[in-house]
Amino acid sequence: MTESNLIKKKPKGKMLLFGVFSVGLYLALFLNSETVMRFFTKGGMYAVLPIGTVFLFSYVHGAFAGNFWSVLGIDAKKTQLQEKMEQKKSTVRRSEQSRPRIRVQA
Amino acid sequence: MHEVVNFIDLNMIMIVYLFIVGFVGGLVSGFIGSGGAFVLTPGMMSLGVPGAVAVASNMCHKFPKALVGAIKRYKYGQVDIKLGLIMAVSATVGVQIGIKIQNMILERWGQSGSNLYISLSFVFILVTVGGYVFRDARKIARSGGIETVASLARRLQKIQLPPMIYFKTADVKISLWITIPVGLATGMLAATIAVGGFIGVPGMIYVIGASSLISSATELVIAFVMGLGGSINWAFHGLVDIRLTLIILAGSLFGVQLGAIGTTYVKDHVIKIVMGIIMLTVAVSRALAVPQYLNELNIISMDPAAISIMTKLSFAIMCLALLTGAAIILVSMWKARKAERSGQALQNPSLAEAATH
Repeated sequence: MTESNLIKKKPKGKMLLFGVFSVGLYLALFLNSETVMRFFTKGGMYAVLPIGTVFLFSYVHGAFAGNFWSVLGIDAKKTQLQEKMEQKKSTVRRSEQSRPRIRVQA
Repeated sequence: MHEVVNFIDLNMIMIVYLFIVGFVGGLVSGFIGSGGAFVLTPGMMSLGVPGAVAVASNMCHKFPKALVGAIKRYKYGQVDIKLGLIMAVSATVGVQIGIKIQNMILERWGQSGSNLYISLSFVFILVTVGGYVFRDARKIARSGGIETVASLARRLQKIQLPPMIYFKTADVKISLWITIPVGLATGMLAATIAVGGFIGVPGMIYVIGASSLISSATELVIAFVMGLGGSINWAFHGLVDIRLTLIILAGSLFGVQLGAIGTTYVKDHVIKIVMGIIMLTVAVSRALAVPQYLNELNIISMDPAAISIMTKLSFAIMCLALLTGAAIILVSMWKARKAERSGQALQNPSLAEAATH
């Protein structure tokens, strides 16, 4: 395994992208908080608004937060399961490489 | 119902406060599977948020946080979805039983009687279960950090009462009739003290026989299912203050992922240590609230100034419980990462050099 493989590339681009999205969503909500609160607290079928909103924010902001820790170099230690999965992948790759190929010489 | 509710005006101090509490609560939840929420509801109420809005907004931040934490820990191979779903369904029934008991007490002894019941349940359960978890964690730490299946769980796993269910990730085969009561108890506790995980996680460890790592991760599935159901109910009544929910969520999504990462570094028994310490500290906090309710029921007579001090002290100790848990998580994680790095540097000096540049 090479050094470049061991030192994982940091997802700076993803972090920035989701960060901008996240800030945009928060700004949109808080700059229109009066309208938002009027509709979001109506109850009944309007319940879909707060529930849907938290799902959207958790996806965008969650992705930002996850990439933020990765950029800081705070990543999970490889678990046994992940190591097994990687071993499986590398075994598949090796078997693909060693497959005999037909070469046609015209 | 929503027409009479006053939603508060937010200022910068409130936003920063909620963000920080959200982060710390998220960190603890990501690590032990629950906790954090018990500080947020009184924390919001101390800012002037009406009780029902505080509960609703807190719950609405809890389920997406649990979802993000569960996904993260699933990627690490720590979540047993089947166990989580069975527990969640039975916990949902448990919540309904818990609400019925609460209503009976409320009708018979009024609000103060209900509050006293909640506080006494808090103290009794947290001291008993938290004390056991903490003692067990210390025993494991002394014996080199190797976690074994609890003897009660081993005995219960031998009972061949159909249907027997195999939980693949937890690597446990046990009767459904033993799993369901654990879920019911989790739901009943959630309805009483709002933190079902304090019985759910120890239940999965000591009754079902899953490891603390799997139990704490699976608890996030239960929290998601139950939190989603509860949030829909609150949102239906128009009581969710989405601004509060999203500010807390902003902090907690950072925290929950850091807590989840932390579980991959530390030894399993650290989860039990954090859980035990938080439970015992929260028990002290709730014990300080008991005299207030005894006074309201005219069982004892106390000076209002003394009651006010005890109430404030109770909240401060609750915050301390959360902060202590967070500090243990961060310190354990930092130590484990440091040890891992020095281990890597010894194995591959050129890699360590490359990493520093």
